[in-house]
Amino acid sequence: MGILVRDIMEESEKTFSDIAAVRWLEKKEIAEKSYRELAECVRAVRKGLLAEGFQGKHIALIGVSSVEWIESYLGIITGNAVAVPLDAGLPAEDLIDLLNRSDAEALFLGAKHKPLLKTILANCPALKKVWLLQEEEVQEEDGKTASFANLKVAAHMDSEDAERPGPDDVATIIFTSGTTGKSKGVMLTQSNLAENVRSVNFTAEPGTVLLSVLPIHHAFCLVMDWLKGFSLGSTVCINDSLLHMVRNMSLFRPDVMLMVPLMIETIYKRLSSADPAIPKQVLAEKVFGGNLKIIFSGGAHLDPFYIDEFAQYGVGIYEGYGMSECSPVISNNMPGDCKKGSIGRPLDNAKIVFEDGEILVKGSSVMKGYYKMPEETAETLKDGWLHTGDKGYMDEDGFLFINGRVKNLIILSNGENISPEEIENKLGLSPLVGEVIVTGENNGLTARIYPDQDVVGAKGLGEEEIRGALQAFLDQYNKTQPTYRQITALVVRKNPFIRNSTKKIKRQEAMIDEPLPTA
Amino acid sequence: MTKEMQFKEIVAQYCNVEPEEMENEMRFREDLGFSSLDFMSFLGELEDTFDVELEEEEALKVLTIADALQLLERLTV
Repeated sequence: MGILVRDIMEESEKTFSDIAAVRWLEKKEIAEKSYRELAECVRAVRKGLLAEGFQGKHIALIGVSSVEWIESYLGIITGNAVAVPLDAGLPAEDLIDLLNRSDAEALFLGAKHKPLLKTILANCPALKKVWLLQEEEVQEEDGKTASFANLKVAAHMDSEDAERPGPDDVATIIFTSGTTGKSKGVMLTQSNLAENVRSVNFTAEPGTVLLSVLPIHHAFCLVMDWLKGFSLGSTVCINDSLLHMVRNMSLFRPDVMLMVPLMIETIYKRLSSADPAIPKQVLAEKVFGGNLKIIFSGGAHLDPFYIDEFAQYGVGIYEGYGMSECSPVISNNMPGDCKKGSIGRPLDNAKIVFEDGEILVKGSSVMKGYYKMPEETAETLKDGWLHTGDKGYMDEDGFLFINGRVKNLIILSNGENISPEEIENKLGLSPLVGEVIVTGENNGLTARIYPDQDVVGAKGLGEEEIRGALQAFLDQYNKTQPTYRQITALVVRKNPFIRNSTKKIKRQEAMIDEPLPTA
Repeated sequence: MTKEMQFKEIVAQYCNVEPEEMENEMRFREDLGFSSLDFMSFLGELEDTFDVELEEEEALKVLTIADALQLLERLTV
């Protein structure tokens, strides 16, 4: 019999009832909820969803980290419904596409994103209900919109509770970049999630403080900050904005944090630019808050240089490896069991083999498949083996290393996976863009563009004018995109890209800008 | 130290450009090599140093040193 997320949450409610489960900032003051209070709210959401007829339905969430967000998420997945967390930073058209493709029938919407409401309702006919993530009750005239508070009120103490889901039931659908330019909905079951929580071999005293700084719609944050944190009786603190990460570290004084390499790099810049006369211990207190001992890094490869640098400030960095399709952790380094430069030992529920150097994974945390994408599922999951798209090897001590990629995805140091084709298709819409390839360099995306020579000729554009017009087009594109999908550098090519025999651009030679050989 | 110099000292923490060499039209991402998170962290430091509150959406429209200085000027008047 497999375990459920509900089992984990019920156990935590029983064991850690009076310990603070969540802390967050409310008008600059720290507010908190104990495990008992959290469980009561989660039950109220779960009963409310049942009372409103959403058992077994797909329910999306759009919003940044908040206590209401996590209560809603847990209310959905500890009942019988399926949670679909979406990236609140995406443009409205992408959100609408994902809401429709995921067959969402209800939505929890962050109060800040209320301006999206009308467009979403007008374009997502399957949506029957929207609850704004706020504690004040509301009733909009559209008849479909209420608030999270209304939903909790709908459930009475004695009203019926949702049945327990089965371990193989889908609990959540998490969207991830596809290599073909269309994002894919990763279906994770109850036991996929619960087994990942159980198999990550990290323990901490109840009440250990965790500061959650990653985007909550990502599997790494959802499963490891929140579900794993709750399973240990940790106090999970919410970082209200990336603007305030360092300030919030001083405020919440975390013991443990999960980060992506980009965060580690940014913090390092602050450490290294400080006056060398300041003792390291004093600086560590100022930058890390005073208690931080452990950073788990994931989402992208971290340069081992930072591990040594942070160690001088008393902070250990432990790198791990995973992907949404594996719920998400596959391997990780741990305090007392780590090897620098490796991505750690595989979890005990993950079998690893290599096929032509590619890492394949099998185990209880491997996804059920991509939602309504049988072909992509068949390509990625073969006989239960998940093809990760990463190349690697295992050393004689059982530590896993990554040394390349099979699939054409750009992994930025903030952990975001970018499908270059998706962006190239959008940039190709400018008449001035003849050919374009997007590459990932220096923590950002570079657009390499060969201008359309017909347009250049017709308009009589000079070099400076071409660059100016392309940069203006990119600025316009950037305004509509989340920061990680923005183009931060432009290279205007003098020659077309090199193509292979089937006339496809050779991506690996995109940086070469030489005249094509004449036949 | 002038407000502008104080501002440029903060910028210099995130890039390899000395305050004296910074020009108004320099772009944070493209010219100074800020990552998206460097920029967020930098905005947070501006808030703490100059005791102002930035609207995240407004602040993310800032592209150049001149844009940031103008925003800061508006908020600290």
